[in-house]
Amino acid sequence: MSELLQVRNLTKHFGGLAAVQDVSFDVNKGEIVGLIGPNGAGKTTTFSLLTGFLTPTRGTITFAGRRIDNLKPHVICRLGMTRTFQIVQPFPEMTALENVMMGALVHHRNIDEAQRRGRNTLARVGLAHKADTPGRELTLVEQKRLEIGKALATEPQLLLLDEVAAGLREAEVDVILDLVRQLNTEGITLLIVEHLMKVIMNLSQRIVVLDFGQKIAEGSPAEVSANPLVLEAYLGKEED
Amino acid sequence: MTFSPELIAQSIITGIMIGGVFALISVGLSLIWGVMRIINFAHGEFLMVAMYIAYFLVARGGWDPYATLLVTTPALFLLGALIFRGTIRPILGHPSMNQIMLTVGLSLILQNLALVFFKADVLTTRTEYTRMILSIGPVIIRVPQLIAFIGSALTAFLLYWYLQRTDTGRAIRAAAQNKQAATLMGVDVQRIYLLAFGIGSATLGVAASLMISFYYTSPTVGLFFGLIAYVVVVLGGLGNFLGTLVAGLIIGLTESVGAAILPGSLSRVLTFALFILVLLFRPQGLFGGKRA
Amino acid sequence: MKLRWNVVAPLALLVVLAGLPLFATEYMLHIGVLVLLAAYLATGWNILGGYAGQHSLGHSLFLGIGAYTSTYLFAQIGLTPWIGMWVGALFAAIVGWFVGYLCFRYGLRGPYFALVTIALAEAMVYLVTNLNALGGAEGLDVRWVGHNPALMQFEGKTAYYYIILIMTALLLFGVQRYSRRRFGYQMIAVRENEDAAEALGVDTLAVRIRALVISAVVTALGGVFFAQYYTYINPRNVFGEGPSVQMLLFAIVGGLGTVWGPAIGAILLVPIAEFARSSLGNTFSGAHLLLYGVVLVLVMLFMPNGIVGLVQTLERRRRGGRA
Ligand SMILES: Nc1ncnc2c1ncn2[C@@H]1O[C@H](COP(=O)(O)OP(=O)(O)O)[C@@H](O)[C@H]1O
Ligand SMILES: [Mg+2]
Repeated sequence: MSELLQVRNLTKHFGGLAAVQDVSFDVNKGEIVGLIGPNGAGKTTTFSLLTGFLTPTRGTITFAGRRIDNLKPHVICRLGMTRTFQIVQPFPEMTALENVMMGALVHHRNIDEAQRRGRNTLARVGLAHKADTPGRELTLVEQKRLEIGKALATEPQLLLLDEVAAGLREAEVDVILDLVRQLNTEGITLLIVEHLMKVIMNLSQRIVVLDFGQKIAEGSPAEVSANPLVLEAYLGKEED
Repeated sequence: MTFSPELIAQSIITGIMIGGVFALISVGLSLIWGVMRIINFAHGEFLMVAMYIAYFLVARGGWDPYATLLVTTPALFLLGALIFRGTIRPILGHPSMNQIMLTVGLSLILQNLALVFFKADVLTTRTEYTRMILSIGPVIIRVPQLIAFIGSALTAFLLYWYLQRTDTGRAIRAAAQNKQAATLMGVDVQRIYLLAFGIGSATLGVAASLMISFYYTSPTVGLFFGLIAYVVVVLGGLGNFLGTLVAGLIIGLTESVGAAILPGSLSRVLTFALFILVLLFRPQGLFGGKRA
Repeated sequence: MKLRWNVVAPLALLVVLAGLPLFATEYMLHIGVLVLLAAYLATGWNILGGYAGQHSLGHSLFLGIGAYTSTYLFAQIGLTPWIGMWVGALFAAIVGWFVGYLCFRYGLRGPYFALVTIALAEAMVYLVTNLNALGGAEGLDVRWVGHNPALMQFEGKTAYYYIILIMTALLLFGVQRYSRRRFGYQMIAVRENEDAAEALGVDTLAVRIRALVISAVVTALGGVFFAQYYTYINPRNVFGEGPSVQMLLFAIVGGLGTVWGPAIGAILLVPIAEFARSSLGNTFSGAHLLLYGVVLVLVMLFMPNGIVGLVQTLERRRRGGRA
């Protein structure tokens, strides 16, 4: 199997705090990999490291055979890896369509083409009817969808989703689940951070577990949920 | 031109004296930034207002220049607090650009009102202190500059002590560090902002009274001192109290030694060159700062 | 229908403005030149300030570079300003790139950028004041050689009027066009949310620098016109805070990040300011600046989105577009 992403000894210190410590894992082409752990385990920090928003204190990241741990986010995006933000980041004054268009513009310089693709993407995330609504006027649920739409429009090989189902209602979660599976069958590799166990267990072929910045387990959903270390990490800590 | 050791020594002494005043002028700007992330682009014009007050008290009222402190300091506190209440507070939540532009507008208003009332004349006072000097060997110390330096150092020290040691001071620092946390701890952030803006402006009242014996007053005097303050705070690291003081001394020395060895007002260019160098190599300021 | 208006209204305005010299007095033409120059400069400032969201308080830096370059080259080697303007634009581009790189590389923006730009412009005032080669505090004259189109010198005001009319029209056309292209969207994205823009493959540093360089070039070309029109420049009147403040003022009053806002701001404010200056100027030389200050404060307090923003809000409310 071919590795799309190789993470080796990834470490990030914030002052005295080791937010991520010696984490290594791979993501293979075509996989859906889950990244889980209690609050503050270092999941979002890992995403920020992978996508160039933070520079690792130590360790290497290889994407599609190329070292990327010193590249800027926009370069990494152009290479084919992009992320969504746990705290949604819309362009508030742009319409939903323009928001998504920004993603499409990476590979399509022509506005009309980007707009056409933007409309398609918007429809995929169920926001076609909101095309002309400014980002700031969307509801939080809509902004979460927009977040996926923007990232998707960049036509990534590897898409990192940070808690996109958090705060959604049951039915909405199922819509997201379907979308993620659909994307995967289209050949997009996914790395997913999610708090909802149902989502992660359902989707992931493989799961990496972080606790206090360290990897404490890795394996299939069944293996991981039977792992005593994982149970311990989650027990005694509130689920939220 | 010969650069005698005496000349250099003289300019270093003068530079330190003036640098102390620069530091005092800049400390208020830095404090306001530290607490509420606003640059007051009318800072120099506030100083100008204070200098006119001091000037008229001395020249028309016959006051001792240093007694004017009793008026300029509370007056500037009031000016700062009123302007904050009336114009800045209503738009605190707006983008920082709006606050910047508002203060730019204020600076235009103050500068040109001064022009209406006082014309473009350059006003100077002659007080009993003006001509006093101390000589140490070949080096002369002008007494008003020495007093200004000591006064600035004292004021800065008092302000530092106030911020570190009093409850209100701690509340100000808490608000500067983390607004939400401060609110949770029961700090009335709005009051703290008002206070910080007032105190940041009041330091200019002190500075004006300290300078009136040896510096002229004019509607555009704020332009120069405002600029010095911008350079000093960037150099010292925005929001960094001690950094600002050191940067004030550095700029004072640069201006003064520069004036001794360069013709015309080229020393000012030296100041800006230093500023650009710092931007190139230590953009967070010489001593680190708090950025938004 | 809507699209047509976008084309028809500006074209109609252009025709009217082009016909103005047929019946206008010299004084009216002078006001026309001032309005157009202000509109041009504010539109140039708006590229960086309005679209890319970086508010320069020292754009006179570029105005002065343009003005001094062409004027110096004409005085020294007789180079026509028609060529000198491009040399000035090149210098402005280089300085703009340098400033942008210095500031944006380390993420110095917002208030920091404002501080740096104002300091740089002011530094130029002192630098040029001390350079005898550039005329020092006295400044430089554009030597009058008689009516000579090849040297950008004209009898009367009509030719100047047409030059600045064409410059402004071209600039507005360019902004209208490119604000709806990839680069325009990228500038807005960088302004609206830098992290989101980076995540979507936008080189935010490059976009900011590019916006600054374009804005600098536009401003420098305006500076050349300024020098030719007034035939005299000195460090304060081109590098000083006056021009910087006016550029941003008209853009803000009209509406930041809109195509027509800066021009509208200039059309509204310049005639009033000129009236204030000419009627009160003898007793009160800062009348127009005082007015600008008051306007700036009021706009920031009560309509921070400017005139165009206000109209858009009212429009939306009328249509009931907001739930
Ligand atoms: N920019 C930062 N500066 C300092 N500490 C941070 C920063 N970002 C995250 N942290 C800390 O790093 C740890 C991991 O955070 P995060 O990656 O957000 O966790 P998760 O996404 O797994 O909930 C937390 O303790 C958090 O407080
Ligand atoms: Mg997280």
